[in-house]
Amino acid sequence: MAGPLSGLRVMDVSIMAAGPWTGALLGMLGAEVIKVEPPAGDGTRWVMPTQRGLGTNFISMNVNKQDITLDFKNEADRQVARDLAARCDVFVQNFRPGVIERLGLDWPTLQALNPRLVYAAISGFGEIGPLAKAGCADPIMQAFSGFACSNGAPGDVVEAFRFTGFVDLTTASIAAEGILAALNERVVSGLGQKVEVSMLEAALEIQMTRIAELQGAGRVMIPMGHENPAFVPDRAFRARDRFVFVTVRRQREWDGLCKALGLEAADTDPRFASNRDRVANREAVSALLEPVFAAKPAIWWLRVLPRHGVVCQIAQDFEGFRYHRQVSENTMLAEVSRPEFGTVSVAGTPWKFSATQCEVTPPSIPGADTARVRAWLAGGEA
Amino acid sequence: MLAGIRIVEFAEGIAGPMAGLRLGDLGAEVVKVEAAEGDWMREAAPVQPDGMAAAFFALNRGKHGLTLGENAQASGRVMREMLRGADVFITDRSPGELAEYGLADVLGTPWAENPRLIVADVSDWGASGPWAGMPGCELAAQAFSGYTRYLGSSADDPRRLGADVGSCGAGVFTAQGVLAALLARRESGQGQRVSTSLLNALISLKSIQLAAQSDPDQYSGPRVGGPHDAPERGWTTKDDPIFFSFGGSVGAEGRPGWTQFVGEVGLEHLLEDKRLDANGRNSTGHGSLVHKMRETYEVAFANFTAEDLVGKIRKYGANAARYMRADETMVHPQTQALGLVREVEAGAGEKVAVRAFPARFSRSATRTEGVAPQLGGDPSGWAASWGLSVELLSSLRGT
Repeated sequence: MAGPLSGLRVMDVSIMAAGPWTGALLGMLGAEVIKVEPPAGDGTRWVMPTQRGLGTNFISMNVNKQDITLDFKNEADRQVARDLAARCDVFVQNFRPGVIERLGLDWPTLQALNPRLVYAAISGFGEIGPLAKAGCADPIMQAFSGFACSNGAPGDVVEAFRFTGFVDLTTASIAAEGILAALNERVVSGLGQKVEVSMLEAALEIQMTRIAELQGAGRVMIPMGHENPAFVPDRAFRARDRFVFVTVRRQREWDGLCKALGLEAADTDPRFASNRDRVANREAVSALLEPVFAAKPAIWWLRVLPRHGVVCQIAQDFEGFRYHRQVSENTMLAEVSRPEFGTVSVAGTPWKFSATQCEVTPPSIPGADTARVRAWLAGGEA
Repeated sequence: MLAGIRIVEFAEGIAGPMAGLRLGDLGAEVVKVEAAEGDWMREAAPVQPDGMAAAFFALNRGKHGLTLGENAQASGRVMREMLRGADVFITDRSPGELAEYGLADVLGTPWAENPRLIVADVSDWGASGPWAGMPGCELAAQAFSGYTRYLGSSADDPRRLGADVGSCGAGVFTAQGVLAALLARRESGQGQRVSTSLLNALISLKSIQLAAQSDPDQYSGPRVGGPHDAPERGWTTKDDPIFFSFGGSVGAEGRPGWTQFVGEVGLEHLLEDKRLDANGRNSTGHGSLVHKMRETYEVAFANFTAEDLVGKIRKYGANAARYMRADETMVHPQTQALGLVREVEAGAGEKVAVRAFPARFSRSATRTEGVAPQLGGDPSGWAASWGLSVELLSSLRGT
């Protein structure tokens, strides 16, 4: 059986990442997704690095899509766009507020044509407020949302996540969540609606716990290196040869850690009696544990800590995890191939459904489906 | 939007409860089931004025609570009764742990006793493979999926992302999985199992980087950055650091405003600098030349405040932002304009601010309920409507 959204059709006029990956997620869920590109093309086609000349960014963000070209400066093509929207279940756009109205693809216009349409509008800062029309991009929102100011070494002011695109993909995830909610509601009401998602709200959502600490207890997140404000110990330790990453949350995990490290006395020390006591005595916990970890190599801690119910890991890079059995057996990576760009690794689906199984398919080459989709629209056959 | 949908959440920490939270905000009725020892997030620091862990409250507000007893079989019988009438079961327990409760059969969907039940299992490492059922956590998943490589540099101690991105990401994907399975159920009449994990979420959210590292034509640009690069700390100004970029964050396309901007801040000499392209785009945003040019910009930026520079840059159609802490973000006029913060009831008569569902719908309302369940709290207010008799509930207190 095909994915859970099979039978639904999505029109995606977005460019760059946050909008396109929304369409890609719906495509992975089994919807038929038609990406509409301007004649100049989605700018991600040229973002470095390319593979055989096509932007790898474009390839990864546009899996599971057909691709057509329309020139919205031309009224005939705008009519084609409206005709297509009239036959779709979902419409995805990430133009700056104001632009979409000029193109005649705004929600009131499309709602009049297709009241069942779920219309997703993805923006940087939201559609209202003083920054509604300000430009945005992943690192801009990392800066604005507090996300970057929660990273860095102790004493730093800020460190942005070097891996740009993370907030874009987070935004796409929230947009897909909202679209799926609206599709569920549509089954009852028979009506579509507009779903507004901003990178700002998405960046706050992915900081759920840190924002909760701020709102509920007034605690502001500052750079803490590899430590966690909420739990102690939950950090990296230098073993004899390399770092290990160790996390303790529950009391029984602390008991297990003390036993594994031969620190039975610490287990009865009132300074470390509960997680909150350990958070209050963070430096004392570190001073106690660091020399013990440093005395043995990582492999020892990787073996002995799990035996005592404590999570312990080492850091990997792409070459380290891409062929790991845990990654491959859960199909967390996928490969998409076309003669034009070769074989490219992209994300596998983030969910595994037992009945409505999903797959990742390569993006169409830009514009490849234009003639077929135009003919289908002109023929009037759904 | 999900009125009438009933969810049993037997999950702790962040991912499973976050899915339950947001589905509840969409209108579903959620019962949070906890083992006698309680959700480990209850132990987190810091606490709210009512004494509850702030993160636990934010993740579990608006849910009914049921605390199990020491007898796993009796606990399993109560959960089984609830699942017979439920639409969704969200769990982070491994198949082995569910078997201890006598609930192993629920993972086989469609479930014989309620074929419409959707089972959403969210794990640390994934439902299959050699690490299925192995305990993991946010930090371990960040390290394993390469996230720690995108902060700091190889010479320094490792760094994590301050936000719990793998757990929160998995929470969003779990909610999506449930919503998609509910749609499919409307067609098929049957539930199914949908599996998500922290590791899978982190790998999915780096699809751009995975593609960049496949077989690139050149090893160039921010998409292939790593600990061999300098940390990204922005540009220092008279006060706070900023990020700015003429022509998109990745330099896909230049914007001509740069030529006027450098004149306005006293950097006209950059117009003659042969290292820069016509619109200076390769000297802003991210990338290796950007690091080399940073000091040049910072000499001029020392004369301006961050807000002043951000205004000047935006005036020329380019992107800029001051690096803010989240406490500044939450009171910024833009954040306030979106109306995403609500005050809700916490315990002990206190009120706490929380964030509403992170999307706005033109026609449907979302809910933002307060009050999170107390461990061992009284379920009698809702239990009868879930078919839980007084006798069945009292069986939890035996051993």
